[in-house]
Amino acid sequence: MASQKNSANDLGLTLGSLLLRIWLGMRAIQTGIEKFAGTHDSSKDVIIDGAPNAYGLTNTVTGKVYALDNYHGVPAPLYEKFSTEPLIPSWGLNLYDTVLGPALIILGFTVLLGIATRISLFAMGLLYTSLTFGLILIKQDAGIAWLGVHIIMVVIALGLAKYDRISVTKKW
Amino acid sequence: MNLKLPSLTRRDFLAKSTLGAGLALAAPSILRAKEAGAPADDIRVGFIGCGKQHEVLFNAMVNIPGIRYVAACDIMKARVGRTASAIKSRFDYMPNRYLDAEEMLEKEELDAVFVATPDFWHAPHTIMALEAGCDVYCEKMMSNTIEGARSMVAAMDRTGKLCQIGHQRRSNPRYLYTLNELIRKEKLCGQIINVNGQWNRALSSSQDIVSKPSILPDAETLRKAGFNAGADHELTLEELRHRFLNWRFYTSLSGGPISDLGAHQIDIFNWYLGATPKSVMASGGRSYFKDREHFDNVMCIFDYDTPEGNARAFYQVLTTTSSGGGYYESFMGTEGTIDISEREAYTKIFKESGAENAKWDNLVRRGLLKKGAAGQAAGGADAIASYESAPPDEYALPGGLSKAPHQPHIENFLDTIRGKATLTCDARHALESEAPIYWVNPAANSNEIIHFTEEHLHT
Repeated sequence: MASQKNSANDLGLTLGSLLLRIWLGMRAIQTGIEKFAGTHDSSKDVIIDGAPNAYGLTNTVTGKVYALDNYHGVPAPLYEKFSTEPLIPSWGLNLYDTVLGPALIILGFTVLLGIATRISLFAMGLLYTSLTFGLILIKQDAGIAWLGVHIIMVVIALGLAKYDRISVTKKW
Repeated sequence: MNLKLPSLTRRDFLAKSTLGAGLALAAPSILRAKEAGAPADDIRVGFIGCGKQHEVLFNAMVNIPGIRYVAACDIMKARVGRTASAIKSRFDYMPNRYLDAEEMLEKEELDAVFVATPDFWHAPHTIMALEAGCDVYCEKMMSNTIEGARSMVAAMDRTGKLCQIGHQRRSNPRYLYTLNELIRKEKLCGQIINVNGQWNRALSSSQDIVSKPSILPDAETLRKAGFNAGADHELTLEELRHRFLNWRFYTSLSGGPISDLGAHQIDIFNWYLGATPKSVMASGGRSYFKDREHFDNVMCIFDYDTPEGNARAFYQVLTTTSSGGGYYESFMGTEGTIDISEREAYTKIFKESGAENAKWDNLVRRGLLKKGAAGQAAGGADAIASYESAPPDEYALPGGLSKAPHQPHIENFLDTIRGKATLTCDARHALESEAPIYWVNPAANSNEIIHFTEEHLHT
C-alpha cells in the first residue's frame, strides 16, 4: 500500500521533472535559434497611372527568416554597451558573442533529451549566471530578476533529476 | 585575391617613397591597372574616417554591386580594424589599413574616397583626395566653416573630379517624388507660405560619448590631428579624448547641433522652395549642457522670396526633448500640408478642408496618394465653433523606400562616376543650400537679424 502511494507520488515528480526539462530545454533552444533570426523584405513597385512609378517607390512586406548570416550572439545594442565595460575584455566579448547561441541550443537539447541531465542543467545555470553578470554591469535589473527566475527553475530541475525516468542517459 | 597589409612603418614609407615615386613615374601604366581578381569596372573605394557615420555609409553600400573596398583609414586603430573585419566578413577579403589619410592616398590606386571624419577635417580630407585624383563622397556638413566649404567647391572645380556631399535626402525617391510630382506638378500644397522643421532629440541621446581608454588614440596623435584646435590651454589626454569622441560640442571642430542635425533639413527647405533665404533670425542657448561650447537648443526663422511669393521657414533643433514628432520637414500651403521625413513613420499629408475634393480623390484613384483617416473634429464642451477650423483629412505617400536611406545617394555618386547619372548634390549645390546655415549661430549669438548678401552666400 505504501509502495503504491510512493509510486504515485514519484509519478507526479517524474512528470514534474519532465515538464521542467521540456520548458527549460525549449526556452534555451528557441532563444538560441532566435539569434539566427532576421527579417526579409519583399517589395513591389508602386503603380501610378497604371504603370510602375519611375522613382523607385515600393511597398514593402517584411517577413521573418532564419539564416546563419543573421547570427548575433549578443544583440547589437547590448554588444555596444558591453564593449565599453572595463570588466569585459573585447576578446571575451567576441568569444561570448560567438558561442552563446550554439551553447544555448546544445544545452537546450541535452536538457530536453535528458543527456547527462545534471551536468547539462548545471552548465545551463552557469550560462544564465554569466548572462546575469553582464546585465549587472549595465544595470538591467528587470533582466537580472528574470534570469534569477531561470536559475530557480534550474535548481528545482536539479532537485527533481533523481525522479527522471524519461531520459537518454541516467548518469551524471 | 590577396591584398597585402601595409607592413611599412610611416618612417619606412617616407624613407622609401622617393625611390618608389621614381619607379612609379617610370613604370608603364599597366602597373597601375586594377588588381587581379577585381572586375575591371569595379569602383575602387577607400574610406577616410571609420567611425559611426562611416558604418552608416558602409551598411548602405554593401548591397550595391561593383565596389571594391581597397583601403580604410582612421587615426583610431580599433576603428580601422572593425571596418576591415566588416569587409572581410561580408566580402571575404581584407582592405589595406592605414592610420594616415595622406599615406593611403599616396600608396593606393583609388577611384573614389568616402570621407566621414569630424566636420573640421572634411575640407582638408576632401581636397587631399580630389587632388590625388579621386572622386569624393563627403559627409555633410561640408565643413565647420564656410571658408572650408568654399575651398571644397574650388578644389572640385580645379581638379574636375566629382564631389558629392552627403545630403542623402536629395537622392531619396520619396523626397524626389514628393517634390517633383506632388508639390511641383500637382501643386498639392497650393501656395506654400510656411515651412516648419525640427529635430527633437532626447536628453538620453545627447549625452557625452565615452569609450574604453585603451582603444583611443594617444595625445600626440590627437594633437597632430588637430583636436586641440581653439583650446586656450594645453589639453590633457583626457580632454583631448573627450574632444575626439565629442567633437560636435566644440566650436573649433564643428558647427554644433544646428549644423549637425539641422543641415539635412534646412537643405530641404531651400531645395523644395527653390530659393535661398533672404535673412535669418535665431535664438539659442546653453540651457542644459552649460559646459558645452555650442548651443544645446537652437530655433531660427528664415525669410524667403519664392517664385510663389513670400514664405517663412522655422527650424528648431532640440537636444533635451524628444517629444513632438521626432524629425521632419513640414511644407504648409493653402491647400495641403506635407510633413516629410527620412522616417516613413513621421511622413504625413493633410488636405485642407477648403481644397478641391475631386482633385485629391483623382490623385488617390491614379495611385499618386493613399487615402488615410478622415479629419475628426476634437469636439468637447470647450470647443468654440467660431475658433475652430474644419479638421484636415489625412493622406500618405503611395509607397516607400526599400533600401537604406543613404543607399540611393551613394548609388547616384557611383552611377555618376560611371557616367550614367548626374550628381544630385555636388559641392556647389550643397554649399548654395548650406551657406545660410553657417549664419544661424552668428545670428543667435548677436541676437540680430542677418540679411543675406552675396558676401554671405557666395559659393
